[in-house]
Amino acid sequence: MMLEVENIDTYYGQSHILEGVSLAVEEGESVALIGRNGVGKTTTLRSILQLTPPTEGSITFRGEDITGMETFEVAQRGVGWVPEERRMFAHLTVDENIEVSTPPEADLDAAYDLAYETFPDLEQFRDKDAGTLSGGQQQMLAIARGLVGQNDLLLIDEPSEGLAPLIVEQVSEALEALRAETTMLLVEQNFEMAMDLTDRFYLLDHGQVVESGQSDDVSADDEFIQRYLSA
Amino acid sequence: MIVELFFQSGGTLTALDVPLSSTPVTEVLTDAMDPGALARIVLDSLSKAGLYITIAVGLTLIFGLMGVLNFAHGSFAMYGAYIGGVIMVVAVTSGTGDLSRLVIFFGAAAFVLALMTVVGGAIEKKLIRPVYDRPPLFQILLTFGIVLVLDEAARIVVEWRGITPRSRWEGPFDTLPAFLSARYDVFGSTIRGIWLFEIAVGAVIVVGVYLFLTRTRYGLYIRAGSEDGEMAQALGIDIRQAFTLVFGVGTGLAAFAGVILMWDPRFGASVPLTIEALLIAFVIVIIGGLGTFKGTVVAGVLVGFIDGFTTWMLPNYDAVEFALVSAVLPGEWAIPMSSNLPEATMFLALVVVLIVRPQGLYGIEEVGGH
Amino acid sequence: MVEAEEGTDVAKAGEDRDDGLLSRYFRYHRVHLAVIAAFLVYPFIYSFLSTAPVVGSTFDLFLPDVETMVFVVVIGLFAMSFDFISGYTGYLSFGHALFYGIGAYFVIMAATGLVPFLSDETPYLLLILYGALFATGAGIVVGLVSFRLTGVYFAMLTLGFAELANIFIRDWSYLGAAPEAGITHGPGFSLGVPYVDGLQVHIGRLVGDSFHSFFGLFGMTEQIAQETVSFYAIGLLVVVCYFALQRIIHSPFGKVMVAIRENEERAKAVGYNTYWYKLGAFSISAFFAGIAGALAAGYRRGASPDNSFDLFVTADALLAAIIGGFGTLAGSLYGHLFHEMLDDFLSTESHGLARYLQGIIPDSVLEAEIVGELTLQVVINGLLAGRAELYLGLVFIFFVLVVPQGLLGTIRERIGGTAAENLPDHLRRYIRGLRK
Repeated sequence: MMLEVENIDTYYGQSHILEGVSLAVEEGESVALIGRNGVGKTTTLRSILQLTPPTEGSITFRGEDITGMETFEVAQRGVGWVPEERRMFAHLTVDENIEVSTPPEADLDAAYDLAYETFPDLEQFRDKDAGTLSGGQQQMLAIARGLVGQNDLLLIDEPSEGLAPLIVEQVSEALEALRAETTMLLVEQNFEMAMDLTDRFYLLDHGQVVESGQSDDVSADDEFIQRYLSA
Repeated sequence: MIVELFFQSGGTLTALDVPLSSTPVTEVLTDAMDPGALARIVLDSLSKAGLYITIAVGLTLIFGLMGVLNFAHGSFAMYGAYIGGVIMVVAVTSGTGDLSRLVIFFGAAAFVLALMTVVGGAIEKKLIRPVYDRPPLFQILLTFGIVLVLDEAARIVVEWRGITPRSRWEGPFDTLPAFLSARYDVFGSTIRGIWLFEIAVGAVIVVGVYLFLTRTRYGLYIRAGSEDGEMAQALGIDIRQAFTLVFGVGTGLAAFAGVILMWDPRFGASVPLTIEALLIAFVIVIIGGLGTFKGTVVAGVLVGFIDGFTTWMLPNYDAVEFALVSAVLPGEWAIPMSSNLPEATMFLALVVVLIVRPQGLYGIEEVGGH
Repeated sequence: MVEAEEGTDVAKAGEDRDDGLLSRYFRYHRVHLAVIAAFLVYPFIYSFLSTAPVVGSTFDLFLPDVETMVFVVVIGLFAMSFDFISGYTGYLSFGHALFYGIGAYFVIMAATGLVPFLSDETPYLLLILYGALFATGAGIVVGLVSFRLTGVYFAMLTLGFAELANIFIRDWSYLGAAPEAGITHGPGFSLGVPYVDGLQVHIGRLVGDSFHSFFGLFGMTEQIAQETVSFYAIGLLVVVCYFALQRIIHSPFGKVMVAIRENEERAKAVGYNTYWYKLGAFSISAFFAGIAGALAAGYRRGASPDNSFDLFVTADALLAAIIGGFGTLAGSLYGHLFHEMLDDFLSTESHGLARYLQGIIPDSVLEAEIVGELTLQVVINGLLAGRAELYLGLVFIFFVLVVPQGLLGTIRERIGGTAAENLPDHLRRYIRGLRK
């Protein structure tokens, strides 16, 4: 197993967000985490990164217990984050956003090549502040940041959120290509897209995993899925 | 000041014993264009700007990265002044040549910079780190407590050595090389050698910090961490190490500025230097916008010129009259010159900037709020 | 904290049902009454213990004198006004000395005939009121501008206003030839019901009223009696102010203030116009800060920039509020009591620790050199005489790091509610527990 989350409880201030969540991701796999708004999907990703450390349970990455580590230590072990709302460094240029995401020992030019070959649209904005990019371009830069970080596992949070359908298509294609290269744990509201991009899924409700299975086996019409995803 | 004039010029309330001779502001501006006056104003202002930016730059970097408004910053400048002063007084004798004095000075400055960087780093690790996850109020309170302890500790040592903590320490002034303590004549105005020295040092600091922030990998980490510390950590950057480093270097730079202040007859080493340096640094980083290096440099120059211009006005006029104000309000209106005018104008600038542009000149809206 | 109070209110209601209104009132305020009683008898206890044979000097060393107690209650009131705005709404009023200074300068200026349209014969109590209203006005003006900002920007803007006033007052030639040194009103003030001589007492250092016939019973010197009269007169006004502030905190208005501190966005979302609530709280706070300033200046018979408009005056309130318990109101009084006791204990004067030690340690030990020219005498003078600030700073850092709730806040946490409501029951349970 690459990532094993065992029975974690996480609080956000006073509110109990995750109540005994367990999940696992295998090397090379692409796994979706689905569920309604506010059931704890983002918190699960933040818990893995130790940004919001769990109070109970354990998280192991490549056999090593990472619970209680500093976030940067988790990241240095090869866990990448493509967060909700992109979280660009708005006042750094596109190039600098790539540079800051590249490990110090890695070849910077190779990182630029990788980023701009994957997303050729970005190359023309290399010296522009990332804050001036459009939403779609920012999403691509966010994914590129995860890519150049030489990560073994990418935690991707709501990549289609707030984007126009045409752009969603582009992002989706980029993620499909990424799927062959790396292991992914994907949080996505768009059910169709989530199932297309993944092998397996976990369904979260009220801070608990209520269902899991193969992405190919389910469709949006399933009564079970309907019950947990419709508002 | 306006109320003062209300009472002084109103006539119906209190008449002045000796009426002020007031000068229209337009005439003051014309006088300032005289080459001698202009040279004096510009050089005085730039030398102050250099000093003020050196003090304030650490404060703004610390705030930008970790959101801590460090009240102890002025104390570090005060410690730099005294430690630097002790080294100079001990190492320099009347027979020491000018060049040797300068070398000793830079040795002292480098020592103080290194020492206080280590001290600052230790304070961050031991004292400030536990309060990061508390409301911002606690960081202000904690650093304020550090001021009380540091200042009283300095007072104890300084008094023990028979020096008066309240007034500036004259000893180090004797260690100035002749070419820095000398006065030079520029278009009929007197310029002090140390001003030019301060301008040079200030320029080196500004360029150095700029290059560090924009051309080095670590500078990039600091800029990224200032924008979004959580994201920076998730990219594998050890943000806590950056906190310690920035707090340490910020402390070191404030102390370094203190070493220069110790040599400058306009300031000198004293315990009240704590508050003087702190208030100036606050005014600059708030006017510039908390956490922005560019804002700090621009505001530092602005405040330097406010200080330089008002300082020049002091001995030359009794009071300055504003025709615009007098046209609107009844009676004659003028601002009398007092030794507190530079400081008053600085705080007036702070208040005006915050009213007109609450986040400062280059600040980002969300930073520094709740 | 609010939730806990509401919970106990319900429990109390059942217990108090059968009592009359008056006895219920006393029951509710029994802790307050106990504290007031302790302050009332303190001058006698102090006088008795500090003049006792043999052990007197030891008590004098540890107990603050009555004049110090005057400043405990006055600065305590100022710290409460600071806590009222900063501790309850979360907005750090770093320029709070501005309002204190206005109160202080107003009464002295009025008494010396420097305020236009106001007779220098105006009774002190009215001057206090007018001065406090002036401070309120300043609070409204500063607040209107400053509450557009939050966080450190708010703190810095209020500091900016206070520093401007500080610089202005040091320069204001209208006050006389040396405005930097401040202004004085030699004859002092009479505090009490305006225009009724029998209900006024003369307060102030060295010039206050004293009542030989009554206090003579306890064998006190005249000096102490003067201070005691001032202490009671000023203390009475402070008590009234405390209850006023406490009423506001417990009113619906106070609940909104706490809501702003806890989560201003939510308070806004619920429909409160937080701007006006903050401004209201700030002006109330300025009013009481003005009263504190007016009282301090009246007792000192003067005001100077250093003891009124200075940043370190605000710092006194900050220290008191944090050590006593931020957002507890009454805690500020105990916080400042601690401050003054430490000051008094480490004073350079005869009742201070340094002089006490020099009195009991033989000269040969004092003069002996430890290392080089360093003697015990030098160490005592250097580290103990007048060095309260050093230890206060260390205690302050300790509180911020380890006891962020402060003295009263920690007690409240232990007994699950305000001390006024829960302490008696808690003590009773505790004593019962001891008996078993």
